[in-house]
Amino acid sequence: MKRWRAILGNTAAVATLAILLTTPFLYGWFQKGVAALDLRIDPQYTGGEVARVIQREGYQVVVRKPVPRRTPLQRVDPFVQMTWTPAAKLPAQVSDEIDLDGDGRPDLLVTFDTTHLKLDVTPRNAGYRAVRCSGVVSFSELIARVNDGIVVRVPLR
Amino acid sequence: MPERTLRAAPRSWGKSLLLTLPILLWSLLMFSRAAMQPGRAPKLAAAVTLLLMAALFFQMVRTFETHRWRRYFFVALGFLFPIGFIWDLVALRGSMSIPVERMLSGDTPFCFIVIPMMIVPAALLGTIVFPGSVLATASNPHAISAMVALWLVATLLLGKGWCSYGCFFGGIEEGFAAVAKKPRIKKLDARLRWMPWAVLATVVLLTAALLEPVYCTWLCPFKAVTEYLQVRSFETAFQAGIFAVLFLGLVVVLPLVTKKRTQCSFLCPFGAFQSLFNKTSAFDVRIDRSKCQPCVLCEKACPTLSIGAESLESGKPRLSCMKCGACVDACVRGAVVWHIKGTPVGTSAERARLMHLYSAWGFAVLFGGGIIANTLAKLFGLLV
Amino acid sequence: MPAGGLATEALLLGISSGPVCLASCSPVLLPVLAAERKSAWGTGALLAEFLAGRLGGYLGFACLAWLLGLSLNLEPRARIMVYGLCDAGLAVLLAAYAMGLQTAPEKSCEHGCPASRARRFNDRYRTFAPVSLGFVSGLTLCPPFVAAGVRAAETSSLPQALLFFACFFVGTSIWFLPSVSLAVVERFAAVAVVARFTLFLLAAWYAYAAVIILGRYFLHA
Repeated sequence: MKRWRAILGNTAAVATLAILLTTPFLYGWFQKGVAALDLRIDPQYTGGEVARVIQREGYQVVVRKPVPRRTPLQRVDPFVQMTWTPAAKLPAQVSDEIDLDGDGRPDLLVTFDTTHLKLDVTPRNAGYRAVRCSGVVSFSELIARVNDGIVVRVPLR
Repeated sequence: MPERTLRAAPRSWGKSLLLTLPILLWSLLMFSRAAMQPGRAPKLAAAVTLLLMAALFFQMVRTFETHRWRRYFFVALGFLFPIGFIWDLVALRGSMSIPVERMLSGDTPFCFIVIPMMIVPAALLGTIVFPGSVLATASNPHAISAMVALWLVATLLLGKGWCSYGCFFGGIEEGFAAVAKKPRIKKLDARLRWMPWAVLATVVLLTAALLEPVYCTWLCPFKAVTEYLQVRSFETAFQAGIFAVLFLGLVVVLPLVTKKRTQCSFLCPFGAFQSLFNKTSAFDVRIDRSKCQPCVLCEKACPTLSIGAESLESGKPRLSCMKCGACVDACVRGAVVWHIKGTPVGTSAERARLMHLYSAWGFAVLFGGGIIANTLAKLFGLLV
Repeated sequence: MPAGGLATEALLLGISSGPVCLASCSPVLLPVLAAERKSAWGTGALLAEFLAGRLGGYLGFACLAWLLGLSLNLEPRARIMVYGLCDAGLAVLLAAYAMGLQTAPEKSCEHGCPASRARRFNDRYRTFAPVSLGFVSGLTLCPPFVAAGVRAAETSSLPQALLFFACFFVGTSIWFLPSVSLAVVERFAAVAVVARFTLFLLAAWYAYAAVIILGRYFLHA
């Protein structure tokens, strides 16, 4: 029994070296293996899945699904995110009626100035809160330039 | 293989060089890509790092000591990593603080300390509560999958030895702990060594409940030397204050006066988490009770309070042992030894040490050596 | 709707919502279960007390809302006040419980000094701690509870509403059963030390959260 334990122990020690030697060659596979676990970055950071894309002249508005409150202790309030892209092709002043749920009726009037990022959101139904801000107020209430888009987040009621 | 005895004579140069050869070849392989980068600075940095790692390993083999030489590498890593990291941040966005805009685009570099906090939300919701990228992008090479893959490898190789060969923060406090000749505070409440477990439980539970990485947003002292959320409100200012106080207290002042790694011993939840993987590692440290005459030099030398009275009784350090080798080197009777699990204690201790060192140092070259070379390349770029 | 169909709907709703309930109650429940270091039966009894307190919190709030004519789906400002007060309550209860935990060896202290009175108070409080912590946790109105309450109110009679709510509660509670496995830490004395530190850290967190939430409430009044 003692002999077998010693054999196993020494085998494990040699295996440790083998793992090290294979690491540079299998590193890419390790990464792909982790990535294949189908884990996503939390929607409070990414803004949620894309719900629809609204085409406008020269730009588009990417509307994402609302990010709800998932636990009572969660400090990020529920919100819905929209992205105007490409930012370079936006007019200086943007004013859009946005239909978030695809029922044909506008839910928000979003107005912002692309230079100073001053945002004014007027809800057209009771599901959303009005917003008047410049820049980031919180994770659920903001206007920000992110990569090649202007991201707007509006808190839900 | 000659066993280390009381104050053993150094190994011969020839044998030491022969034993160092695999590490030299491994280092050549690891740094060859860096050496192929354009410009003289990366080549010089690769050469310097290769020589450093090979020379330190040579000394470890020749002198039969581990801790002293490992510490040179570890302190270099601890101080050079923040320099390189801050350099990249300032070059990219002009400041150490991370604005919310960068978080929304998934550009936050991922840190291994987040791993234990990620597990419960990932299991229950399928999401990673960290504003990073799963795969590397042009603007964020520090992807989640890359760090998790590296962590997995290191954990299989080293168990909690990550804290002695991989952690790019631990070297800062190890450096401060080495400054004073003698500790000013010698007695530390033994119950405090359970704090990392309490911090681990707290941050895991709160992260699952709040869906935010609580240790990163509230308790990480190393935010003071890497990056932190842009101060825009009372809360972010309060958080920045906590980081600064914890860094000064646990990483600078307490290591100076106690000569212990106090952040690792009393706060770090990742260290507590990593302790669990000491059970899966093939190597550990043991105390040969037939040779031990409790002088407690090992207990005094241990930087993380991992040896106590019960360790001398049972012949095993506590689960928090990070395999730094300080206790082995401090023991003048050769009672504290490296050990391969399953084998008899005390026989072939030097073989166990060398086998552990090849794995641990090999990983150190791969990971920490790469970080050191990267930073040196930036610094040398200013000179050449 | 037939009772069987209603019960099934409620049970499935409860099971699907269980992870949320578990995630939000775990910071309060798990350290307490670990700290007591009881056997599986003892841990199960503590869990039952906590769940009973939680149910009491839900039903208590529902009764109060019904008496005052309020909807369970509170206005945001009212919800902020409820969260803030519950966080403050949890902070006090967790800190009191942590102070009552004995990690040093038992000492005989029966000569009527304030320390022994404090000790007796702590011992008595410890008996009620799981129920009181569960009760305050139940008051926090997690979204699945509110959704279930609204759905229950849509049923045609009071017995049906109660049946719906009871089955929903059972469905969520199924997720709590694995926490009985914490009994495995019974043999580790250090667990009590870790649990005590954890409870103090959590109490500090809830105290901070209460200050911020209530501060936001009063500043924006």
